[in-house]
Amino acid sequence: MGQVTPDSPSEPTLERLLEHPAIWRGRSAARTATLGTGCRRLDEALPGGGWPAAGLTEILTARSGLGELRLLIPLLATLGRELPARWAAWISPPFEPYAPALIAAGVPLERQLVVRTADPAWAIEQALDSGGCAIVLAWFASTARSSGAARSSGAARTNKSTQLSALRRLQLATQRGQVPAFLFRPLDEAAQSSPAELRLVFEPSLEGGRLQLLKSRGGERRPLDILWSEWREPNLRELKQGKPERDVHDQT
Amino acid sequence: MTRRERVSSVTRAFRAPRRSQPSQRLQPLPIPQPTQKSAPLLLESLFDSAPESWIALLPQPPLSQHLPQGEVEVTDSALLQRLASIAGGFTSRVSLEPPDALLLEVRGSFQLFGGAQSLCLQLLDRCRQAGIELRWSLAPTPLAALALARAGGETIVLARDRLAGVLAPLSLKVLGWPAHTVARLDAVGVRTLGAALRLPRAGFAQRFGQQALLALDRLTGAAPEPRRMFVIRERFRAQREPGFELCVQSMVLQCLDPLLLELEDFLRTRQSGIDLLMLRLQHRNRPPTRIDLRLASAELLAKQFRELLALRLSQLELPASVQRIELRSGPLQPLVTCSESIWRPGEHGGAAGRESPALIERLRARLGSAAVYGLCLIPEHRPESAWGIAEPGVGTASVPRSTSSAMSRRPLWLLHEPEALPSALQDLRIVGGPERIETGWWDGREVARDYYIARDEAGAELWVYRERMPPHAWYLHGVFG
Repeated sequence: MGQVTPDSPSEPTLERLLEHPAIWRGRSAARTATLGTGCRRLDEALPGGGWPAAGLTEILTARSGLGELRLLIPLLATLGRELPARWAAWISPPFEPYAPALIAAGVPLERQLVVRTADPAWAIEQALDSGGCAIVLAWFASTARSSGAARSSGAARTNKSTQLSALRRLQLATQRGQVPAFLFRPLDEAAQSSPAELRLVFEPSLEGGRLQLLKSRGGERRPLDILWSEWREPNLRELKQGKPERDVHDQT
Repeated sequence: MTRRERVSSVTRAFRAPRRSQPSQRLQPLPIPQPTQKSAPLLLESLFDSAPESWIALLPQPPLSQHLPQGEVEVTDSALLQRLASIAGGFTSRVSLEPPDALLLEVRGSFQLFGGAQSLCLQLLDRCRQAGIELRWSLAPTPLAALALARAGGETIVLARDRLAGVLAPLSLKVLGWPAHTVARLDAVGVRTLGAALRLPRAGFAQRFGQQALLALDRLTGAAPEPRRMFVIRERFRAQREPGFELCVQSMVLQCLDPLLLELEDFLRTRQSGIDLLMLRLQHRNRPPTRIDLRLASAELLAKQFRELLALRLSQLELPASVQRIELRSGPLQPLVTCSESIWRPGEHGGAAGRESPALIERLRARLGSAAVYGLCLIPEHRPESAWGIAEPGVGTASVPRSTSSAMSRRPLWLLHEPEALPSALQDLRIVGGPERIETGWWDGREVARDYYIARDEAGAELWVYRERMPPHAWYLHGVFG
C-alpha cells in the first residue's frame, strides 16, 4: 500500500477539482447551490436546478405587478417555515404587500420585513450582511428612474455606472452572506450589463408566463412557458436540492 | 417592662397635645435599646392573618408650611425621593405619600435587621446621617402609622387589635381630612379618633361621606389599603465638555466614546439594558441638536450604540460647532441575554443567523422608524382595513390554511389608495367576479363595492371595483403580482 493510486480519494483528480462550485466552465451547467423554485420544469431549465442560493437574481419585467412576484411566493412560503426564523426583507416594493393574500399563500407574516427607502442599495447590503435575512427582495426600478429624472441628463451616464458598481457590491454581499437576493428591474435595462448570477425576463401569459434567461451559467436558452397550475411549494428537503453533496475544497 | 406597661406608656405618650402635656410631647419616650435581648415583640396578634408593619416617615421641619407654593413641590418631592432611596435599603415596599410623608412596609425585613426596634433605629440612624430629621411611627396599617407620626411620632405598634386603643386619644386633625369635615365633627363633639370610631357607621357615612368611613376602616385595618409602590428611577446621565469646539462628526463620536463606555459599565453592573438613548449636542448661540435613539430591544453594548449614533450623525448637518455633549438614557429595562453563535452567518456552510433586531435598528437609525415595518392581518372584510402595519416580527401567527383558502382570491399587491380608472374600461377585460364588499357604518368609512378581476392588455391581472353608489366610478385597488 505504499503507492498512492491516482484515483484514490486523497488525491484530487482534475475532474474532482472541476466539481468545485466556484469553478464554472463554458456551456456546462454550474454546480452552484440552489433553492428549488416550486416548478419542476423551471428547476430543470435553471443551472443547478433552482434559484441561486447565494447570489443576485434579476427579474426583468415591462412594469411591476405583472405576476413576477408569484415566481417567488412558493420560495417565500418554504423559507418561512425554515428554522431558525429569519427575515424575508422587501426593500422599496412598488405597492403594499397585501397581508391576506400572503397568508393565503402560506407566507408567514411575522417574518416579513418591509423597508421603504430612497436608497435601496444601502438597505439591501445591510440586509444581506446582517445574517438575519433568509431572502431579500428589492425593487430598483422606481428609484433608479426618479433619481435619474431628478438629476440633469448629463449625469445619466455616471448614474448608470454607479448603479453597476452598486450591483457588483450587492452580488459580493450575497456571496458573503450566503443569502439569495432577487432584484426586480424594468425591461429597458436588459441591455445594460450586470454582475448578477442569473437574469431573466418575465412576460405574463393567460394562465402563467414566459421566462427567458438572459444570463445564466449554463441554463436553458429557449424561452420557457410556465403555467401557474404546475407550481407548488417546494418542501424543506427539496429546498436545498441543488446543493453539492460535499465541498472538494474542504476535503483537501 | 411588661407588655401592659409598654402599651400604656405608649398610649400616654401620644395623648392629644391639647391635654396639656407639652413636655411629654417634646421629649418622646426613648426606644428601648436593642441590647435588651430579652425584649421580644409580644404585641403581635394571632388573629392577624397577613400582618403588615408600616413605618411612616415625616421629614422635619415640614417645609410645606413656610415656602411659597411653587417651590415646595420641588423641594419636598426631591427630599422624599432621597428618603425613598434610603428606605429602599430596608425594604422593597416603599410608597410615597405626597406631599410630606413616606411609608414603608418592613414586616419582611424584621428578621434581617434584628427585630422592629433595631430596624427602626438603623433606619433613623441612616436618615440622620443623610441630614434628614424625621418624625416617625410604626403601625400595622399605613394610615395609622401616618396618623401616629403626625401626632408626634416615635411609637411602635405591631398588633392590629391594639391599634384602636392607641389611636383613640389622637386628635382628628392627624387624618388630614378637609377642614370643614373636622369642623363639623368638632361641632358634634367628636374631637378624637376614638370618638369617631365609636360613632354608628351608617350615620357616619351618611353625614360625612363614604370616603371618610373608608378612611376610618383603613385606619384600623378593617379595610385593606392598596398602595402604589415607589420604583426607584435610575437613569444614566453624563456630559462632557472638551476644551475645544468640535466641528466634525467624527470628533463628536470620538468625544462620545468614553461616555458610551461609562454607559456600558453602568448598565452592566445593573444587568440591564436601555431602549432609548438621548444625545444632546450644545452649540454656542444656537438651540442644541438632539438625537433620540430608539432601539428595537434593550441593549447595553457601547459598540452597538456607537455604530447607531454614527449612522445618525452621518445623516445630520451640524448647524455649528459643538461645545458640550450630553448623554442620557431612557428607563432601564431588564436584559435578556443569549449567547452569540460561533460562526459568522455564512461561514461554514451558511449557518443561519437569527432574525435579529440589530438589522432593524440599523435600518431605522438611518431611514427613520416608520420606514421599517412588518405586516399583520386584521380580521376585517374591507380590503384596505384587512391588513396593518406592525412592529416587525410580531405579525399575526399564520392562520391555518384551511380557513384562509375559503376566502376568495386576494391580490398580492394592494395600492395605497384606490386609483380612479377611466369609466370606459376599454383596455380591461373582466375575467372574474363580481364579489360584493359592503358596509362599515360603525367607523364612518362605509364602502359599497363590487370587485372584479380584470386583465389589461399587458397581461397583468388587476383587482378593480365599481362603486355601487352613483356615479358608479371604477377604481383600481390591487394587482395580482
